[in-house]
Amino acid sequence: MAKHPLQMTINGKPVDAVDIPDDLPMIDYLHEYNNLTGSRLGCGQGICHACVVIVDNPDGTSEEVRTCITGAHYFAGKKIRTIEGHAKRDEQGVVTELNPIQLRFVDEFAFQCSYCAPGFVNAATVLVEKLQRQPVAKSQLEQVIEDSLGHHICRCTGYVRYYSATRNVLSDLGLVKEG
Amino acid sequence: MSNRDISRRSFLQGGLVAGVSVTLMPLSNPALAALRENSVTVPPEQWLGNNGKARARSDAMSKVCGSKVFARDIRAKDMPGWPEQQGHAMLLKTTKADHLFAGIDLTFLGAELQPDRTVTAEDLSKDGIVFPEDHAPDPLLPVGQVPMFIGHPVAILIWHDFERFRQAKAKLKFNDKAIRYGEKAALYTTDPYGSFRYVRVGGKTSADEDEFASLKDSILFPMLRNRRPVWNSQPDLHGNLTERGLFYAERMKQQIDSPPDNWLVFDERYKTPSIEPAALEPDNGNGWYDPASKTLHFVVATQCPHEAATETAKMIAPSRFSLAQLNVHPGYTVGYGSKDHNIFVYYAALAALYGNGVPVRLANDRYEQFQSGIKRHPFDIHYQLAVDKNDHSFKIFRSEMTVDGGGRANYSSSVAAVGATAAQSIYYMPQNDLQVTAFHSRGVEAGSMRGYGTLQSMAATEMMVDEIAGRLNIDAIKLRQKNAMVSGMKNTQGAVPAGALRLHEILDKAAVHPVWKNRDVIKQEREAADPDNWYGVGFAICQKDFGTGAEAPMASIEFTADGEVSLRHIGIEIGTGMATSQALVVADFLGVPAAHVKTGETEWDELQLTSGGNPYTMSQAEQNEFLRNPRWVGKLASASSATNSAYYFSHATREAARVLFNHGLWPAALQIWRQGPYGGQANPYVVRREDAHWVDGKLTANGMQPLSFETLAKRAHEQGLVTGATVHGFNRWSWAEAEFSIDGVRERLPLDSLAVKYGDGAVSVKKAQMNSAGFHLLDRQNVHYPDVQLNNAAVTYYSPVATLVELKVNKGSAEVQVLNHHSWVECGRVLVEELVRGQLEGGIAMGIGHALLEEMPLYEGGPGEGDWNFNRYRLPLAKHVAVWKQTAEILPPLSASDPSKGIAEVVMIPVVGAIGNAVAHAIGKRVRDLPISPARIKEALNG
Amino acid sequence: MKHLLTRITLAVGLAAPLLQAQADDQVERGEYLTRAADCMACHTAPGGAPFAGGLAIESPFGIIYGTNITQSKEHGIGLYTDDEFFAALTEGKRRDGANLYPAMPYTSYHLMPREDSDAIHAYLKTVAPIERDAPETSLSFPFNVRLGLTAWNLMYADDLQLKPAEDKSEAWQRGQYMVEVMGHCGECHTPRSATGAMEVDKHLSGGLLNGYLSPSLLADDLANRGWNHQDLSTFLKHGMSSQGTMFNEMYPVFHNSTQFLDDKDLAAMATYLLGDTPPAAKVVETRTLDDLNDSAKRGHQQYLNVCAGCHAPEGEGKPHIAVAMRGNTTVRLDDPRNLLRVIEDGIDEQQFSGFERMQPMPGFADKLDQTQLTDLLNYLRQRWGGQTGELAVSDVQKLQADKSDTHSKAD
Repeated sequence: MAKHPLQMTINGKPVDAVDIPDDLPMIDYLHEYNNLTGSRLGCGQGICHACVVIVDNPDGTSEEVRTCITGAHYFAGKKIRTIEGHAKRDEQGVVTELNPIQLRFVDEFAFQCSYCAPGFVNAATVLVEKLQRQPVAKSQLEQVIEDSLGHHICRCTGYVRYYSATRNVLSDLGLVKEG
Repeated sequence: MSNRDISRRSFLQGGLVAGVSVTLMPLSNPALAALRENSVTVPPEQWLGNNGKARARSDAMSKVCGSKVFARDIRAKDMPGWPEQQGHAMLLKTTKADHLFAGIDLTFLGAELQPDRTVTAEDLSKDGIVFPEDHAPDPLLPVGQVPMFIGHPVAILIWHDFERFRQAKAKLKFNDKAIRYGEKAALYTTDPYGSFRYVRVGGKTSADEDEFASLKDSILFPMLRNRRPVWNSQPDLHGNLTERGLFYAERMKQQIDSPPDNWLVFDERYKTPSIEPAALEPDNGNGWYDPASKTLHFVVATQCPHEAATETAKMIAPSRFSLAQLNVHPGYTVGYGSKDHNIFVYYAALAALYGNGVPVRLANDRYEQFQSGIKRHPFDIHYQLAVDKNDHSFKIFRSEMTVDGGGRANYSSSVAAVGATAAQSIYYMPQNDLQVTAFHSRGVEAGSMRGYGTLQSMAATEMMVDEIAGRLNIDAIKLRQKNAMVSGMKNTQGAVPAGALRLHEILDKAAVHPVWKNRDVIKQEREAADPDNWYGVGFAICQKDFGTGAEAPMASIEFTADGEVSLRHIGIEIGTGMATSQALVVADFLGVPAAHVKTGETEWDELQLTSGGNPYTMSQAEQNEFLRNPRWVGKLASASSATNSAYYFSHATREAARVLFNHGLWPAALQIWRQGPYGGQANPYVVRREDAHWVDGKLTANGMQPLSFETLAKRAHEQGLVTGATVHGFNRWSWAEAEFSIDGVRERLPLDSLAVKYGDGAVSVKKAQMNSAGFHLLDRQNVHYPDVQLNNAAVTYYSPVATLVELKVNKGSAEVQVLNHHSWVECGRVLVEELVRGQLEGGIAMGIGHALLEEMPLYEGGPGEGDWNFNRYRLPLAKHVAVWKQTAEILPPLSASDPSKGIAEVVMIPVVGAIGNAVAHAIGKRVRDLPISPARIKEALNG
Repeated sequence: MKHLLTRITLAVGLAAPLLQAQADDQVERGEYLTRAADCMACHTAPGGAPFAGGLAIESPFGIIYGTNITQSKEHGIGLYTDDEFFAALTEGKRRDGANLYPAMPYTSYHLMPREDSDAIHAYLKTVAPIERDAPETSLSFPFNVRLGLTAWNLMYADDLQLKPAEDKSEAWQRGQYMVEVMGHCGECHTPRSATGAMEVDKHLSGGLLNGYLSPSLLADDLANRGWNHQDLSTFLKHGMSSQGTMFNEMYPVFHNSTQFLDDKDLAAMATYLLGDTPPAAKVVETRTLDDLNDSAKRGHQQYLNVCAGCHAPEGEGKPHIAVAMRGNTTVRLDDPRNLLRVIEDGIDEQQFSGFERMQPMPGFADKLDQTQLTDLLNYLRQRWGGQTGELAVSDVQKLQADKSDTHSKAD
């Protein structure tokens, strides 16, 4: 397999690599080349969504992309965020601040084993960012959450706490309007 | 006989197994974590609220930040001292069970992608590897043999770098080009994994003496002939135990076959699917064998780290590889039982062993996990239940069940036994004959997945009872109320379940729930408004045993003079919040939760324990003989299941904390309160220990000045009181007890081993006693072990759950949509309510999957062929579970002293039966085979 | 007299079970024919009760709603006699005398014999009534005037006539009936004129439907795309074969109709389509990367980026997950329209026979720009589609602009 250099921005840091195989899946690039293992391999086939990362588009929008079925070179020149990049840390690496979704998931016992948590955090974070551009009407709130998180598989929790925590975050952040 | 661990015959003894020094240090262990990165658990101020209740899980921060908490996340470069280079391995498997294996041929990979090492059966044999007996024979299929099952591994392929591994694996996937098949051959056969018969004929009432029962008399075991169980003893009322049992069994059969006119005899079959546990973390291990230091370092995902460590050491010790040291590092994991007693661990260890000095990672992808991961057993159930048509009481319950155990034995035997003994669900059965046999098949190995056989049998029973109510034309909850057990009644083995049974409380609540009461009116209204769907309501209830009949929890708690409490525990975090809840249990006695929690602890040198004999099968005489040794215990350490963490694990934590309170904090408090002339402030009052209370983090009793834990800890240390306690307990449906002399006070405790530590100010005599790894090891006296006959009780600990389901069935697609559900749970004292509710919500989702969605062929075309994934195997999604609407009620405990009971398995069961019953209510036909797929509904409607 | 009565009674007594058996046979045959005629596809809304109507059918003239054909007397066809039912089926006449919209394929059904119509009606009489009206259809002129349809019917309703079949095999003749009349395949696979009528001279040579091409079913064209008799029958039975899976408008056809047909009829349909002496299926070799033009070479990386995760790096697909690109019939179509549409729109999860459940394919309309799309199309077509020509970006732009949902052929 041919190899080419690959440049992208991961969690705000430019990452340059040479000799990345043209057919390398992104999840392997994260795990084996960057030691970022938080984007988890669940099905390896784009079904469970445990492996999603966030791509920040030039127009200011963000979206989740499945890394297990997407090639690393798809992300050439792109800015991505992984689960490891959301929290703020001090110099010792100790977490000093979580993003609102992470915080709420922790507070509401949203996950159990947590293998799927990175996917849910990223999906819900993308939803927060989407609603920050365009708030959702209260009557549509549950549907919007279902549309955003509905493909994510969790085997432990039955989804209840992920969903209610997300709903509560969206309300608290003022992203839900009457109607 | 739920002997989940029947063959663990040796234990870690002073960390030495078969001459190998074994250490077990979880990835989450602070010492190891500090070497890798920041700690997995965080100090309590981050997860505890001001009220002393958990504000979050103690491991939540690491988990929500995507830190390396799973064994799966670890690479060589993460491990202190390991070489950076990471090798990768995969298992090559044969997928035709009806052909001889003739060897492998990897030439099609080309020169570049050839593995750096290929390990075959020949290598294992040549190198003297002694594979764990429980998972033998033939971990790798030798050339010339027929596979035991579809997907039988034939070789471990190892590459020393990722890229070549990745490319080679891509070529090896979805085909068996590398396998050479020989002639077509007869399928592999072997004897059944286990076969049991539970016969009970009660007296006039439950309280009267049983005429015959498993507990009182015996479980019946058949002879095996032509791979089938046969009963060749003659039934004889005056014969030996088996003959007597068969006499009663035969009598029941005759009564059922020619029943009196006033009996209704229900007679139907139920089938359950093979279920993929689908733990999202697939099986994996990563190890580095360093020939220079003769050490194997091994990171592994397992629910039974002690067993994994022991068996790994024993496997390698006799081989040509020199092994002096084995360091096992279990990660946080998830398995729902599928990572308990799992053969995968040993393949991973072998891969590391053959790494030629390079760390090797063996990690299933999802296809491989489907192919070889442990499954839930499919049951084929034949039930007969005789009911009195006049008073609606149950008369005789018969069952014949066959259980498909797949290609390796694993826990099939005990799953079958537990399934049969749970078949009664919540009902009193005056007479029963429950037969069950677990068979080998060429399917994927089945094991101890969540439910442990009871999901299969109880869900069927709940559908049966509902259908009987329909045939009797009475309300299904009324029929349940008529027959549900009350406290003190015997189960089908003749044992009396522990404590109060609160089944009727739940049934009474369900009977008046508006959805149940008005179900027919609601059905009419809904169907008129929505002509595309049928609407149905269904209810089911059950109680699930928990525990294995040989539970052995260990815990150690210490506090410093500064008031820092640390807890060490054998339990391992499997996603259930065990670390969080155990830390909180400590607070009951010490007023503060443990600040430091070390889970998966294996170093218990202070207890100097020894074990031996099989706790399930030893005779009373053997046990008595063993008990002459005060260091002997029936079993060293429990495996980790969610139910264990609540009840059995709490027992050890609680007893250790109680010792610290009674012999450390309480005497310290009395000293403080009695300071001053004539006994100080305590003098005017009577101060009693039973009146002690922690209020706002301070201890008070009978109006004494509240004292903080820090104050008491400081005093206890100054006075050399008890400031540390390590305990071991043993449970065989009842706790072992012994007397200990603790700091001069004699006490009888539900423990079989105890060691204590004295405070910094202890006198030198006491300090000198602390010569057992820093503890004073106490000698037990007047020990009482549960009689071995209790092994026949099978289960006595129960938690009940009931679920009421509303659903609709589409008239076109025949798909079922769960609209709403409500559950009632009784689990004694709740440690952390959010964790209990989370378990319930998750269990219900898994139950919905079992009832409606999850299915795959058992053999050809099934997961053993290595091409299954979540597209074909449908897991429940949020849209399937009534995510916004579902509700639940947790019954308050009878008192604060209720034990905390395990619920992780039971929560998923009633929803299965309730769905079956609701579908019947909706479409007017019964579907008795699960899952209730559109195809089965259409068949029921057209048939 | 008494004697006679007894004999009559006796005869009735004997005949009743016989008649009942005949009636059962008729219902069973009717159910099969209802499948073959695929009534369910249009007369059932997504998630709705069977035959209760409500499916929105897009047409160039507006949305037509499938009607309720359950036994509801108020909303369905509970009052229809066999005569009235036959008239509706074959002439597009409603019970009240009004014209049905020609979305109802009476233009094909008009060749159905009365006994088949009666059988279908007998089956539909066993379907439980659903008391619900389907939404009202409102079309543009002249179709909003049901009277206008009379004129349309005069001109076109009987256009379709069967080709002579004297020298053909029995299977061919059966296949012809199953394809042309019952299956009404021509309704979609034939180009339509501006008035919405089938262009009879171009029968089965391919049509346009909601922006997708219903490809040509002519024997040479099928063989050219790799179809042989066996695969074509398999495709109809299971919705999938080595050439790919049914998608878009054919997916419901598989679901409601072809999977229920017996093997003999499916083989007959393949025989009819490919002929008694089928042309040899063309084999297309995979071309090496070096052999591709520059756009296709660039497309290779697009393929690895967003396609290979499911369709595999070498285009071999993944079993039960995603179809192979090698030998794929859509990749081999000369017209790149469907390939482009699928890449842009994606395909929902597809359930086929047994445990076959193909994973949903995401749409890439907003992920790939026009150059990337062009490169990817060129790659797929050149590598595995046997195409040598190169599409220009402007070709793709043109196709994108032409999302015409017209039934007429865009020429």
